[in-house]
Amino acid sequence: MHLAMGTLKRPGPGFLPFILACLLVALSLALIASQWKKGDGKAPFWPERTWLRPLLGAGAFALYAFLIDLIGFLPTTFIFLVLWMWIIESISWRRIAMVSVGVTGVLYLIFGYFLEVPLPGGIFS
Amino acid sequence: MGEIFNIFQGLLNGFDIALSLTNITFALIGAVLGTMVGILPGLGPAATISLLLPLSFKIGSPVTSIIMMAGIFYGAMYGGSTTSVLVNIPGEAASVVTCIDGYQMALKGRAGPALGMAAIGSFVAGTIGILGLTFVAPPLAEFALKFGPPEYFSLTLLGLVMATLLGGDSIIKGLIMVVLGLLLGSVGLDPISGAIRFTWGLHMLQEGIDFVTLAMGMFGIGEIFYNLEKVLKTELVTRKISHLWPSLKDWADSKWAVVRGSLIGFMIGILPGGGAVISSLVSYAVEKRVAKNPDEFGKGAIQGVAGPESANNAAATASFIPLLTLGIPGNAAIAMIFAALLIQGVTPGPFLITEKPDVFWGVVASMYIGNVMLLILNLPMVGLWVQLLRVPYSILAPVIVLFCCVGVFSVRNSVFDIWVMGIFGVIGYIFRKVGLEPGPLILAFVLGPILERSIRQALLMSAGSPAIFFTRPISGALMAALILFLVFQVYLNRRKQRQRGKG
Repeated sequence: MHLAMGTLKRPGPGFLPFILACLLVALSLALIASQWKKGDGKAPFWPERTWLRPLLGAGAFALYAFLIDLIGFLPTTFIFLVLWMWIIESISWRRIAMVSVGVTGVLYLIFGYFLEVPLPGGIFS
Repeated sequence: MGEIFNIFQGLLNGFDIALSLTNITFALIGAVLGTMVGILPGLGPAATISLLLPLSFKIGSPVTSIIMMAGIFYGAMYGGSTTSVLVNIPGEAASVVTCIDGYQMALKGRAGPALGMAAIGSFVAGTIGILGLTFVAPPLAEFALKFGPPEYFSLTLLGLVMATLLGGDSIIKGLIMVVLGLLLGSVGLDPISGAIRFTWGLHMLQEGIDFVTLAMGMFGIGEIFYNLEKVLKTELVTRKISHLWPSLKDWADSKWAVVRGSLIGFMIGILPGGGAVISSLVSYAVEKRVAKNPDEFGKGAIQGVAGPESANNAAATASFIPLLTLGIPGNAAIAMIFAALLIQGVTPGPFLITEKPDVFWGVVASMYIGNVMLLILNLPMVGLWVQLLRVPYSILAPVIVLFCCVGVFSVRNSVFDIWVMGIFGVIGYIFRKVGLEPGPLILAFVLGPILERSIRQALLMSAGSPAIFFTRPISGALMAALILFLVFQVYLNRRKQRQRGKG
């Protein structure tokens, strides 16, 4: 890829990105330097397994994006809700069932029915 | 005199539009949604409006959809205080300081007056803000007609820098977010030459990164991932809320706080880069300084609720001024409304009032109506809203994620966008963890094209001499303001560091 810088007289498409990239490098160096001077970066980034729940959340999200193309909106949404509330939040089964069915239905009603978004049908279409 | 007459004429017309059944309905929907997202922690007005962006076509005319989105923004300012007072978690970023004294009041059994004063203060301040918007915007727009590319560049730059430096605690981190936002905004077709930039051959990126995808990823998904780290419990301090109508002593204590908060909020809101969050912080600091007994602060001083809650409402309303007269959004939520206007084919700027008077005056008039609706929703009906806090975050979180997924999918019916949003979500999560605020990034992303077009046009005008930004009077004044502001900030930072060194 080559983006012409142009000149100050005729700035090209690469003009602003170049200036921004330089600024970013300078600012990053400044940030590193200022943290260096402080020198108190000893606290762990994820104390006591706090990484686990966000990671599970991201996993559930990825699964959703992956499955929705394959099996369609309704089953994917239902599975996502069940998994999230079961694995990440450990809510009682009765509540999970109620919320999952309810939310899937409401979402379908709002987006699929009223707003006529062509939600992926997957194998059921 | 003619000018004043035009304003009243316009406002009358606006009420005609805003009072149609459709528009009243959508103002009410906006007010209800706004109160709701204000109350619910972990979902702010910016994320909510971005969620509704893809639907703005289906809602109807530009006026109707902007009326609703505006309602969400200022409505959230009302709702935010409820959670701050009752749960000690800010329902919304602009209500952070309300937690300090509001929660203390609730612990002492004075949740009622705290909520009542917050709602009344919000109403007074909101109305003052709209009056300001009504009378300041038209002359300002006329003045802005003189602006050329150099002026736009200077003003946009000033707004970006101010938003960054006023908002966060680290200048460097804030500026990094601005630069990243500008770079993200440069993906896709170059606005002047049409060259394709940074798409890595992915044709989905040719139209650039979609604003809705970026905003929902950073604000919606990123926030959820971040909140997952801790178990967020919304436990109410008290179930019974009585004496919503403040006592005579409460009135006497807070009336000037409301007035000061309104003025502070309006002044900060109108600045490019100002916003509701900053204004509430400033108002709290001012109230503490002018108070007869500052020791009361932190122990349940009603001024500490009345001032900031008034300020954030006045600021939310005032921040429509730079948007509707200059076409420059000053904060993330307003940036969403900016995007909504563009989607509807309305370019906000100095011509808006004269060329699309229906949009401008319709929205302004709807705000007067919306504020009355919100006062009713938040004063006598506050008990109903409190029930909302009983929905645990553990159920709310996956539902918000799903709304984001379906919302982003509906923009152009593409699963690819869901993935992109997820990636921005992870990035937003990491940003939050290392103390980088996503607000300035979003703002820079929206302002990027304006900034780039104006700097390149200006340089073409001046045959390559950057002096053009300093020699034209208006642009020069803006640049001077920018430099003064930077110097002042550096001075403040130095002083803060020195004090820290001593203490």
